Amino acid sequence: MRELDTSAPIAKRTIWTRLMAVDRRIIFLAVALSVALPLIYPIGLPVKTANESRAYFKEMDQLNAGDVIMFSFDYEPDTMAELDPMSLTTWRHAFRKDLKIIALTMYAGGTGVAERIMRQVAGEYGKVYGEDYIFLGYNPDWSGTMLRLGESIKATYPTDQYGTPSESFPILQHVDRYGHIKLLVSVSASALSEYWAIWAGGKYGQRMISGNTAVQAVLIYPYFQTDQISGFLGGLKGAAEYESLVGIKGEGTRGMDAQSTAHALMVLFILLGNVGYVMNRRRRTQ
Amino acid sequence: MSVDPGVWIAAILTLAIFSFLYKDNPVYKFAEHLLVGVSAGYYLTQYTFSAVYKKLIVPVFLNGEWILIFGGLLGLLMFFRMNRKTEWISRYAIAFYVVAWSGYVIPSILQARVLVQAQGTIPVTTGSIFSIINAWLIMIGVLCILIYFYFSMEHKGVLLPVSQVGIFFLMLGFGASFGYTIMGRITLLIGRFQFLMGDWLGIIEKL
Repeated sequence: MRELDTSAPIAKRTIWTRLMAVDRRIIFLAVALSVALPLIYPIGLPVKTANESRAYFKEMDQLNAGDVIMFSFDYEPDTMAELDPMSLTTWRHAFRKDLKIIALTMYAGGTGVAERIMRQVAGEYGKVYGEDYIFLGYNPDWSGTMLRLGESIKATYPTDQYGTPSESFPILQHVDRYGHIKLLVSVSASALSEYWAIWAGGKYGQRMISGNTAVQAVLIYPYFQTDQISGFLGGLKGAAEYESLVGIKGEGTRGMDAQSTAHALMVLFILLGNVGYVMNRRRRTQ
Repeated sequence: MSVDPGVWIAAILTLAIFSFLYKDNPVYKFAEHLLVGVSAGYYLTQYTFSAVYKKLIVPVFLNGEWILIFGGLLGLLMFFRMNRKTEWISRYAIAFYVVAWSGYVIPSILQARVLVQAQGTIPVTTGSIFSIINAWLIMIGVLCILIYFYFSMEHKGVLLPVSQVGIFFLMLGFGASFGYTIMGRITLLIGRFQFLMGDWLGIIEKL
């Protein structure tokens, strides 16, 4: 909405012109309230699951205890709000099923994010570093890394994030390439999920699922439709759907109430703006 | 309310960034510049450790894999860009990178984004009636959009309504993309509010 035209004669201001010129700070305040209030007083709106989220859940849920998955934290703190709920629930789901996880990140800024989530969830389930999970850290050149992991994990990452030789970890005793990994999970804020699908999936036949920011989700649908990505979560809604399928109440589920009220408010603003526009035009033609 | 100084600093900086919504001010500028400075320092350290130390110094000088020094030298050529007289030397490194990247990408992208996607556009003849209708809709949409972007003939006669249907499908795509983008931006706000009201003020439970 445009700024209020203070040069316009007072007499010409009607409710319709005012609708077209609401101060942006009022809109910001309304959006802030529409987000804050449902967080304090949850509404508990139902979460309906979509095909892609059910497919993501199914891929994880059909794995057996002891199976090894690879989890790539392909995001940085700027998208934590969207992607942390997906990562947390995936790790909880995996540890609940006694899966083993090889974690890594394709972003230099992803190491801190990864360490926080691993520490939290491993603590909740009493998992041991090196036996139940390992963090290989960040490797420069994501394209080369994705391709080389298909030949040898230990050659690509001679040490883990903390400098210990990779071959000394029990979790990597019988696992050294994509063929030994049951499922690849990329939680990504960029096109990296697509590149995992193209190289790990296309070149090495690695089955994979992904969690994506809402902005990225639209681009992932074609890969899901062609089964290059076997399941995916799109934005906070995807995270909430996955939480409800796993049976964990997390930040995704709680955030969806705020998400819904903020969307309703925006629809209301769009409607009011358009009503104001139409009525103004009608007045002018009259 | 949190007693962690780190949480307090993060909360105050978050409010400083939010203050821009009222109007531009020095507190916002300070927080913005601090973010840029801290990020630059963090990434410089990370890249130096991960790339220069772990991928060059350790293998070459500690493990004796001397062949890898050529990669390091190629990287050093990039620094010649800083001087206008010597910047042509950096093109060797760029040329190598472009060729290697093209070799990686072209065949894989062609397969994943063109061949498999074209195959996925062809309608299925099995499954539920909804999946068959859906598949036909996708194919009609793809063909109409392709015709919309076909500029070798003027859009009149049969091409005109077909390209208009193409616009309709494009609008659907843009609308879905816009809706998702709004969701993404609101989620960022929700994340900050969850931090302020959960981690900082303790009004809501931390999950």
